[in-house]
Amino acid sequence: MMQISKGITVLDKVYHGMYITVLILLALMLFSCLIRAVRGPRIADRLVAVNMMGTMVMVIISVLALLLDQGYLIDICLIYAMISFLAVNVISKVYLGVYVEKQQASEEKDLKDGGEGDKTYGNS
Amino acid sequence: MEILEWIKLIFGGSLLLSGLMIFFVELYGIFHFHYVLNRMHAAATGDTLGISCSLIGLMIFSGLNFTTFKMMLVVAFLWFASPVSSHLLSNLEVTTNENLKKYCQVYENLSDLEKELEEEKDKEKAEEGKV
Repeated sequence: MMQISKGITVLDKVYHGMYITVLILLALMLFSCLIRAVRGPRIADRLVAVNMMGTMVMVIISVLALLLDQGYLIDICLIYAMISFLAVNVISKVYLGVYVEKQQASEEKDLKDGGEGDKTYGNS
Repeated sequence: MEILEWIKLIFGGSLLLSGLMIFFVELYGIFHFHYVLNRMHAAATGDTLGISCSLIGLMIFSGLNFTTFKMMLVVAFLWFASPVSSHLLSNLEVTTNENLKKYCQVYENLSDLEKELEEEKDKEKAEEGKV
């Protein structure tokens, strides 16, 4: 046995170091994802970036579950996956609904104005 | 027995690190492309391959227990959920963008696209006939 001190073997040290390295790398990538989410010119850009961040956080939670030796953290990972899926779906549906409603309202306005139909209100 | 533990470490570690590499590639793609519909392609890589690689590495570390089963559930759930959300996002983008033609080729009718594809096929056949 390669015993260093009081039951901590070389293997444990390697595992611990690897987990910490992976966590730090993932945190850095998470921050650059956040930059994309802030800079993204359109709503869909931001939503894609948020979806990516959710995936990375899932990996972070599962690494933490093994690092802290707490199996129940994987349950939180599963719930996180479901909630991030729900969030992206609901937000995209809401934006789509608002856009369609706006378009319909402007079309009705056009119909009411009738004669002076040269102007288009659609581009808002 | 010690050697088996080291082999487990090497296999799991290489899978976990390859998952991290795939996440890095995804990030590079997200900053490299200029339009959402292109970026979505890069983002889907990490959602399926990245997380399954890194979670399979973690499964090898944790051994055969209930935690492994739950990790498999997470991966399976993402395989079903990620295409659905990608589809909704692209639907949102195509409906909301008013000058989509600036970024990509748009066909008003599906029959136009089919016609063009058939013409291309005919051209290829003619070239093959020449050779």
